[in-house]
Amino acid sequence: MTCTLGEVKNRADFIMYWGGNPAECHPRHFTKYTIMQKGKFVPEGRKGRTMVLVDIRETPSAKAADIFLQIRPGKDFEVATTLRALVKGQAVDPALVAETGLTVERLQDIVNRMKRARFGVIFFGMGVSMTRGKHMNSGAILNLTAEMNAFTKFVCMPMRGHGNVTGADVVLRWTTGYPFGIDLSRGYPRFNPGEFSTVDLLVRGDNDAALILGADPGATMPQPGIEHLARIPTIVLDPKVTHTSRLARVHITTAVTGVSAPGTSYRMDEVPLPLRPALASPYPTDEEVIRRIRHAVAAKPAWTPAPSAMMAFA
Amino acid sequence: MLRIAGGTVYDPANGIDGVVTDLCIADGRLVAEADLPAGARTIDASGTIVMPGGVDVHTHVAGGALNFARGLVPENQRVSRKFLHGVDRRAGLGGMTPTTFATGYLYAGMGWTTVNEAAVPILSARHTHEELHDIPIVDKTTLVLMGNNEFVLDLLEAGETERAKDVVAWLVWAAKAYGVKAVNPGGVEAWKWGKNANTLHAPIEGYKTVTPAQIIASLAAVVDDLKLPHPVHLHCNNLGVPGNFATTIETMNVLQGHRAHLAHLQFHAYGGDDWSTMRSESARVAEAFSANKNLTADAGAVLFGDAVTITADGPWQHLLYQLTGRKWGNLDVENETGCGIVPYVYKDRNLVNAVQWAVGLELLLLVDDPWRIFLTTDHPNGGCFWRYPEIIQMLMNAEFRKEQVRTLPDKARQRIVLEDLDREYTLTEVAIITSAGPARSLGLTRKGHLGVGADADVTIYPVNPDHGFLFSYPRYVIKGGAIVVEEGDLRHVTEGREFIVRPACDDAIEDYIRPLFEKVYTMSFANYPVEMERLRRPEVIPCDRR
Amino acid sequence: MITLTLKEAPTVPLEAELLSPDTIASLTIDEIRALPVHLGKRRRRVDDFFAVDGAPGDELEIRGDVGRVKWIGHGMTRGLVRIDGHAGMHLGSAMTGGAIEVSGNAGDWLGAEMSGGVIRVRGNAGGQVGAAYRGSLSGMTDGTILIDGSAGLEVGMRMKRGTILVGGPVRDFAGLQMKGGTIVLQSGAELRTGAWMNRGTIISLRPIPLLPTFSYAANYNPTFVRLYAKRLATLGYTLPYDERDGTYQRYTGDAAVPGRGEILVWQPHLM
Repeated sequence: MTCTLGEVKNRADFIMYWGGNPAECHPRHFTKYTIMQKGKFVPEGRKGRTMVLVDIRETPSAKAADIFLQIRPGKDFEVATTLRALVKGQAVDPALVAETGLTVERLQDIVNRMKRARFGVIFFGMGVSMTRGKHMNSGAILNLTAEMNAFTKFVCMPMRGHGNVTGADVVLRWTTGYPFGIDLSRGYPRFNPGEFSTVDLLVRGDNDAALILGADPGATMPQPGIEHLARIPTIVLDPKVTHTSRLARVHITTAVTGVSAPGTSYRMDEVPLPLRPALASPYPTDEEVIRRIRHAVAAKPAWTPAPSAMMAFA
Repeated sequence: MLRIAGGTVYDPANGIDGVVTDLCIADGRLVAEADLPAGARTIDASGTIVMPGGVDVHTHVAGGALNFARGLVPENQRVSRKFLHGVDRRAGLGGMTPTTFATGYLYAGMGWTTVNEAAVPILSARHTHEELHDIPIVDKTTLVLMGNNEFVLDLLEAGETERAKDVVAWLVWAAKAYGVKAVNPGGVEAWKWGKNANTLHAPIEGYKTVTPAQIIASLAAVVDDLKLPHPVHLHCNNLGVPGNFATTIETMNVLQGHRAHLAHLQFHAYGGDDWSTMRSESARVAEAFSANKNLTADAGAVLFGDAVTITADGPWQHLLYQLTGRKWGNLDVENETGCGIVPYVYKDRNLVNAVQWAVGLELLLLVDDPWRIFLTTDHPNGGCFWRYPEIIQMLMNAEFRKEQVRTLPDKARQRIVLEDLDREYTLTEVAIITSAGPARSLGLTRKGHLGVGADADVTIYPVNPDHGFLFSYPRYVIKGGAIVVEEGDLRHVTEGREFIVRPACDDAIEDYIRPLFEKVYTMSFANYPVEMERLRRPEVIPCDRR
Repeated sequence: MITLTLKEAPTVPLEAELLSPDTIASLTIDEIRALPVHLGKRRRRVDDFFAVDGAPGDELEIRGDVGRVKWIGHGMTRGLVRIDGHAGMHLGSAMTGGAIEVSGNAGDWLGAEMSGGVIRVRGNAGGQVGAAYRGSLSGMTDGTILIDGSAGLEVGMRMKRGTILVGGPVRDFAGLQMKGGTIVLQSGAELRTGAWMNRGTIISLRPIPLLPTFSYAANYNPTFVRLYAKRLATLGYTLPYDERDGTYQRYTGDAAVPGRGEILVWQPHLM
């Protein structure tokens, strides 16, 4: 239940940021897309919008908020689930709600404001998607948003971090059917987060080689995963020498996409933006390197039997 | 270079109705016998049926909405047909939302060689073209969504129809599209406030005077003025709603004189007042449609089984979500349009679904002129495109069709007329509704026929009394003169082309659009138009129709 | 009975979906040795990794640490699979009958989407026991899964019918979006048990944290628990039910859906 950012700019009178700190992590978000913009249907701009910030601590983003809801760490799922019940007029346990750091009254007030809004949006960040509960926390907000549409127009959007992670998601979906956590070892795409997602593969040591492009798992993975990367043949393609490069077998310096290499970047709302390189680079692009590797691999004897001989299952 | 020898050829556009004759192909085109160079390979087509390659006039195979749907249904993907990686082919998945490479293999495998991606927002047209780039073999066209475009609506409200025309022309070229699509005109805009536009002659939400009727008539006039090869492609208001046949007939009136193509007509031919009284009104819709000779349509037939509804009709999808209580996706696109996605299962035990199933077939049987109504399922809304052969079988075999009707619940049988229809489609008529007709409606003069100069897109079917089987497994599929499928195997993966148009436009309109764009959009104006380099093998088709 | 003894530990996961009674029952021993298994992207033979002995039938015994071997018993309809060691992911997924026994631990997705049969794990299980695969509307639709040790996240997620019993503690989201069936937690659970449940029963023998969307309904000793206890006793598991020993606190939820599931928490009488 989502939209492109222009819809938020032009219509949103209720804007909630949950588990993110846009003032520091998405520094142009307020001014370019949300609260500070004068929208086509919100010509009064800031005055016509209510901003609610939900987080475990008061970050610089709180300065921009009309309402700051401080919840206890690890309670996002409980709060979102409670909101879902309140939206439907269902009873909740006040004592258990209070354990989240918020009261039923406070949450009921938020629900009332949400229902009175003409157009509400919840932006949710890694404080939601990466804390205990993970995809269920995101799922809670997605469901809350869908259910709010029985009352008024409501959308939500994940606050994507890191360059073009949305682009990777979009391209993988159209080529394989799945956004991430994809396995191709049986000759066709299979999806199972937890089984095929990167952190899990590395921590269990399920792979015997790694090619890393545009990421630095050597800096972010749990220690067993980093040790595994150091043990197996690891190849890194990156404009910079990264933590991962230092434990890799091969590092290939490539041109910076968007600065020296063309392409498309998909914004957090999946709007595709062309990247027009401005500077030349002495290094090859990621694409050139991958094409050359692929060409060399294709010259080797095939390891899979002919398609008709393969059994495809599950 | 190829000779197809001794096949029984059906080329209705050239009046060839089951004639045993040779076809000659050179440089990707059909050529006269005398112009076939020596040393051409000969395919022995004796005992086969030869038709021009299929043309799908309305399908959803690429872009933001379809890709959103892919993400919603991993459990369908798990059980979909698997396409294994090979030396010359990419891995992929079939099913209801096939991956891009698989889409090309699936269409080609069936003998369909041209597809029209029916709904593209300008803002994400770049994404659509990138996906089309990854669909092999088939040629493509795209339709860009205009019926809820705020620039256009604002101009219509202000009575500035001439400027609206230039804006439409500029936007079509910016999106590198082929034609204009309007979905639930006014309704998708209203959905941005959680509402809909159910009445053709009532002003739409947020506007004082503009009505859906006005949008429809204006866009039809604009498309005719711009001489686009394909008429305005219209998804009428009130899709799916019991009683909506009246809206559909009124829409035909509103179009008075102008060309239009009515999309997935099945979803717009219902009577009754609510779900419990819903019934078929295909006869009335077919009659009005037949009388309005400026119109073409595609069936949008429903097949029992899994489907995923993907449409710009956001409010309808929210309703479907509330009815089914299952998954729902929605993505509104600033200033332009939106999309809603609801995975769905059509069940023969379900009264409403049974009526829907019947209505699609009824329309195809009741509209006498096959040049006017074409075979589609609004893939993947009514069913998957790779099940088209099932529909062909039911059209060609009345007894088989009636057997299916007899398995429906009695209550459903009382709501439909299908059981009383005896018509059986001939092979010529099948060639028309699957190829010649849609090609003509799209204005693709080199498609849909096998005369000299046509693109060499030819499908060779085995003769088989079970017509569904016949059409499921072509023996040969030739695309642009290359044999891409032979005896059921994918032999050669070629690149398709994209057909686009560049309608005449006053260049000064860009000065009008730019400041408006900067005010309501959220990106740089320079990044809005799609670069030609994004398209694989683009070909501009002239706007000189009529 | 056919016995497979691990002789070469796979360096990456080994997918062995053909190792099930249904497949081996009709094969000769040489055919079983030649069955394809997949080591990552490479197709290999069973006997690259296992010594194969015994007489074909519908009993299969696997010896060794096969914690990296996935999909054993997938879709089986009959017979017995006994694993003397640890088992990998997807053990018994989609099974409709027969029995699986594991002396050690089992990986994630144990009995996922199964519809019949019995699985017993003496050690610990991973996450998503009896659960729905991602996106799928339903998990297990019948059958019995018994785990002596602990289990991970999302035990019984979207299960529709059947029984899961876990002796040790389980992690978050046990009974997530449950549609029916019974989950017995002999050592309680961490957070968010029964989240978004629709129907079904979760019985916890230890106090557990509950979501605010669950309401206390009553204290009582339901009759069906007595019946369940008798059945579980035949399998070697104890479920308290006697009023003299204690009572169950009944909570209903999840109001967020709103659902009509129940969580029964055992409250022993203080002496």
